Amino acid sequence: MGRKIRGSSLAAGCAALVLALGAINSRAGDDSKPASKEPRSLASASLNANFLDPLLEAFWEEEGVKPPRPASDEEFLRRAYLDIIGRIPNIQETQAFLTTKEADKRAKLVERLLDHVDYQKNFATVWTNLLIGRGDKGRNVDRVALNDWLRKQFAANRPWNEVVYDLVTATGSNQENGAVNFTLAHLEAEAVPLTSRTTRLFLGQQLQCTQCHDHPQNDWKQSDFWGMNAFFRGIKTEEKRAADATGLERYDHTELSDQPTDAFARFERRNGMMGVAFPRFLDGEKLPPGSNRIRRVELGERIADPDSDLLPRAMANRMWAHFMGRGFVNPVDDIGPHNTPLAPEVFDALAEEFRAGGFDIKQLIRWITSSKAYQATSLRESKGGSADDEAEDLFNVMILRPMTPEQLFDSLVTATSAHRPSASRDDAKRDAWMRQFLFVFGNDEEDETTSFQGTIPQSLLMMNGEMMRDAISDKPGGFLAEVVERARSRGRSPAALIIDQIYLGALSRYPTTRERQTALRYLQTHPDSMGVVQDLFWALLNSNEFILIH
Amino acid sequence: MSPITPWSGGLRRRHFLGHMAATALGIPAFRFFSELRANAAAVRKNHRSCIVLWMSGGPSHLDIWDLKPDSEKHGGPFRPIATSAPGVMISEHMPKTARQMHHLNILRSLDSKEGNHERGTYLMHTGYVPNPTVVHPGWGSTCAFELGSQLDDFDLPHCVSINAPGAGAGFLGMSYTPFMIQNPNAPIANLQPPADVDALRMGRRLQMLGQIEDQFIAQRRTQPAADHKAVYAKTIRMMNSQYKSIFDLKSEPAAVREAYGEHSFGSGCLLARRLVEQGVTYVEVSLGGWDTHADNFETLSNRLLPQLDQGMSTLVADLASRGLLDSTMIVWMGEFGRTPRINQNAGRDHWPRCWSVVMGGGGMESGQVIGATDTDGVEVTDRPIGVMDLIATMTKTMGIGLDTQYTTPRGRPMRIVDDGKPIAELVG
Repeated sequence: MGRKIRGSSLAAGCAALVLALGAINSRAGDDSKPASKEPRSLASASLNANFLDPLLEAFWEEEGVKPPRPASDEEFLRRAYLDIIGRIPNIQETQAFLTTKEADKRAKLVERLLDHVDYQKNFATVWTNLLIGRGDKGRNVDRVALNDWLRKQFAANRPWNEVVYDLVTATGSNQENGAVNFTLAHLEAEAVPLTSRTTRLFLGQQLQCTQCHDHPQNDWKQSDFWGMNAFFRGIKTEEKRAADATGLERYDHTELSDQPTDAFARFERRNGMMGVAFPRFLDGEKLPPGSNRIRRVELGERIADPDSDLLPRAMANRMWAHFMGRGFVNPVDDIGPHNTPLAPEVFDALAEEFRAGGFDIKQLIRWITSSKAYQATSLRESKGGSADDEAEDLFNVMILRPMTPEQLFDSLVTATSAHRPSASRDDAKRDAWMRQFLFVFGNDEEDETTSFQGTIPQSLLMMNGEMMRDAISDKPGGFLAEVVERARSRGRSPAALIIDQIYLGALSRYPTTRERQTALRYLQTHPDSMGVVQDLFWALLNSNEFILIH
Repeated sequence: MSPITPWSGGLRRRHFLGHMAATALGIPAFRFFSELRANAAAVRKNHRSCIVLWMSGGPSHLDIWDLKPDSEKHGGPFRPIATSAPGVMISEHMPKTARQMHHLNILRSLDSKEGNHERGTYLMHTGYVPNPTVVHPGWGSTCAFELGSQLDDFDLPHCVSINAPGAGAGFLGMSYTPFMIQNPNAPIANLQPPADVDALRMGRRLQMLGQIEDQFIAQRRTQPAADHKAVYAKTIRMMNSQYKSIFDLKSEPAAVREAYGEHSFGSGCLLARRLVEQGVTYVEVSLGGWDTHADNFETLSNRLLPQLDQGMSTLVADLASRGLLDSTMIVWMGEFGRTPRINQNAGRDHWPRCWSVVMGGGGMESGQVIGATDTDGVEVTDRPIGVMDLIATMTKTMGIGLDTQYTTPRGRPMRIVDDGKPIAELVG
């Protein structure tokens, strides 16, 4: 019920904006036309007005491209699961969604996913990686505590500017206040890494080059970098010891605190002269000298200022990129006059609504996922079979993105219940596999590449690794054994049923008629039926269709 | 494995015919992904390779290649010794390499501006300083792209990085990303299919996989979809390659293994030799631990230089005796040099202003010292060499056109060699 209320107030807000923009979407019903011969269920493509759509349509018209063809329910379902809760849907979830005939089932799905416990898990993972990377940062950085803290923020849907304020200003024990770990992770080298992370992640500004020289392409000067850096003076860290179970004194946690200071940052200019910088925010505002206040608090207030547009633009662009595979501005954290955005009006409207609406992250996700851009298919219209359609990437066709290692791992677990057959050593084994995945697939930085960065060791892990072996095993209690059991209990044409289930489990869709017949033919011509079933499942899990978000 | 029949009816069981079909489908795996194979040996004849010995952390050039015995403040405790190249002196802790110096050259006047590990590493691998708008391809990936891709029938990766990941391929894409070998002394993980998956079954899996991949590519027609198939194709070729035993150093005679050293650097050098012998274009072997802000001299004389000396000297001698040195360039470098000043912890700090790189082989002149620094090692006194000059020299040695130019994903031109000149003393 609560959901309904939010939804209707949203609709009212949108309607007001649409009116204000003078572009009422009068063609809202037109996209229910089936766009291709393939059997696709389009009935649920969003018919709700979305304030982004008129702006997107104007953009497409201006660019001379056709508005997108809507994604099928299968495409939308898988994409929404991966983007919102970080894994593919399981068979039951897939069948439930594909079966229901409700008109607004896509919006309802998004609501359900936003309330899912994996929503906060997913975004906490994404932001842990953004905030401190994937690598080991040493004992002063408690990754688990940071992750737990982020989960709570996303679960409570706290306004983003408040979350950021807490991250920038956090003090106390790195175990009790997980937010502290962001600062702790980047204090080395005069907090130079902390300066560039903070401005990139929260303000969408790449200042890191100006550490050493004035920026060649925008207006940032070396003194701007060090002016921001000077906010990170007066920080104190202390390693606390405590007695462990055996009574031995050992490292327990790290405390972060601030003291008022009148310190300044010193830096070497290109000409060899030394420069000096006092705290100065990006907008040029200087911290009054002699101020007795805590520098990070001053910085946090400026970053989280509800009237500033840097934070909302940085987050709107990053979230758009999270869902669309690329931002309005790319790289996503390099926003400024030197870097012309795609669809600037859409970007402006999204950022401004996010700011005006109180930095509501779930609302931002609702807006993006209900837009025609997110609802676009990834299928490309055939024209002469050439592969150079990249120029069309104006948010009018969904681009393909590789899963992150975490998405891939959780999706494999979902598809295969890979952890279940050997219940006793469950967690240890899962952790070992997860580490292996992160090692082989992960790079330290959460980069935003849309190319498939596959490597031979990754393919080897997927093809021959222990987790895959376990996933496709026919052990009792495993996915395949269950599927076969279920099919046999139904009696009628079990082979076809098994094939359907394998496709649903791996690819979140039914096989096409041709795929089903091909698979049946394999079963008919090979004596080792279970082997065929395993091999088919192996092939689906190893495919580009599985590993790419589409 | 006894076949399980999970369903009661609806299936015609034609054992004999079924078996025949399986045999027909079970043609060797690579056939599903690749076309006819050309004669690899012929293609490889004129192939050039490069081995980079990467000293991560910033090696102290003043204690290895450019000693300053006459500098009271900066000289340090190491003494220079004569080498097989007349007039060329190097550190006393490099005695074996000293006997190979007639094959190599020392460039003593490298001059760069990047004193930060990350930036220096990027610069030395790409020739460019980091730039937020483009990820430059590592030079090794560029070689793989330009030369390796001419070997269209080649089972091994064109670009291999041993002990550390090396530089990425940037916008050249995953096909040219270095194949990383974490530990040259261990077998490559997951290279073998599970025991119960024989060639027939693997063939069947790959056939099924090929069908799904092709359909997905036909529907989406974008790079990531095709790239996925391409990397699988490469992986499968490697799994089936007759060369995959290359990675197993156990087949080498004990004397050879001992000569190289069985530490990860020595084994990496030996593996590098085995790889270029087969036609791999670029191999990088890393030796870390050079960031000697403290205890520089102890660290070098006790740990780093003995390993370096053993691996490097054996590699040069081995390549020369096998007749591979003319087609294989060796480059020794790190991200920068270290300060002439010795700090209070008996360490040296970062120093990109004048430092050394060593190179040889690949048909270049040898036995020379190019450039010089002053008595205290503070300034270049003769023939400054920019990083792009080094890249130009390497590029020319590999036979890649100096005017080769790419278009970045943002549509801007990028030259492999930008504003650099090959070192004439080495490559004419």
